[in-house]
Amino acid sequence: MNPEEKIKKLEEENEKLKLLYSKKSDIVSLSSHQIRTSLSALKWIIKMFLDGDLGALTTEQESLLKKAYEGNDRAINTVSELLFANKTEDIIDKAYLFAKIDLTELIDNTIFDFSGEAYNRGIEMLFLKPNTKIHSVNGNKDNIRVVLQNLLENAIKYSNMHGKIFITLKEIDGMVQVSVKDTGVVISEEGKSKIFEKFYRDPEAQKREAVGSGIGLYTIKKIVENNKGKIWFESEKNEGTTFFFTIPIFKS
Amino acid sequence: MAKMILIIEDDDFLQGLEAKKLKKEGYDVLTAMNSVEAFKILNSNTKPDMILLDLLLPDVDGFMILKRIREDETLKKIPVIVFSNLSEEKDIREANKLGISDFMVKSNFTLDELADKIKVLI
Repeated sequence: MNPEEKIKKLEEENEKLKLLYSKKSDIVSLSSHQIRTSLSALKWIIKMFLDGDLGALTTEQESLLKKAYEGNDRAINTVSELLFANKTEDIIDKAYLFAKIDLTELIDNTIFDFSGEAYNRGIEMLFLKPNTKIHSVNGNKDNIRVVLQNLLENAIKYSNMHGKIFITLKEIDGMVQVSVKDTGVVISEEGKSKIFEKFYRDPEAQKREAVGSGIGLYTIKKIVENNKGKIWFESEKNEGTTFFFTIPIFKS
Repeated sequence: MAKMILIIEDDDFLQGLEAKKLKKEGYDVLTAMNSVEAFKILNSNTKPDMILLDLLLPDVDGFMILKRIREDETLKKIPVIVFSNLSEEKDIREANKLGISDFMVKSNFTLDELADKIKVLI
């Protein structure tokens, strides 16, 4: 086979793989939706029993149904994690379209999206904006939004009730640096070297949230690096955890 | 007079549970399994005070229904809650763009929470 034929064959194989990958992604998405529908029905029915809508329960029945309700909620979380993993693998593999992004606006909007969730846990999110105007960055808006969502979601999930989350923004050496600081779980010594590994979950985080895919931080590290930035963290006892990431300033 | 809610949901089991709960809360409930049934109700003289809209339906998707509601002078002010198991950001953004009161992912809420949300909105 000559080099041209080899390249053509490889291109054909690549197209087949892309199609297969896309089908896999669709199947995961559709199945997850169907599973969620069944789990929703189960959730509502068990709740009706627990609320006494279908008659009084014995103590044993109530205790078992509570366990069933919690188990069902764990299954719902697992499906949500599966959907997230399916979506983020797509994001990592997609070609990037870079553009000028106003990070201040993007952070404002993302904080707004999570305000309900934070409110429900009594957590305050404070965006400490700098006094001077921050330059726009050069990156992929949808993907940087995923980074912010992931960091805020983790900060809310692993913060203590009624805690505070601080978000800051500043310019350093041609980059814009974002930080998200929570006042919750501290990353373990083991986790400090493994936290960005695929499927790794810190034991301290597992104590707080039993369900998790371990793919979120792995994904956002890839995204930040694909956007030519860096991501790191600081985690100290009594101080909580701060994640930092940088994205290059847009140059016209 | 009791407020009226139209549930557009193709899963008859879920639809039954939603209707039962809302009737118990004192609402009049109308149901539709698809867009044809939904617009048969919406084009009649009886206008609901709120619409609960699923997004994956057998004939057209919920976005199409929402778009038609928002373009119709007689319907466009009716508050709509999207009640679906879709949760992708693009779906939420699309629904918000068309004009909704809330986007609730079914599996994340109990029917009590749904009823509480409706109480706040109408």
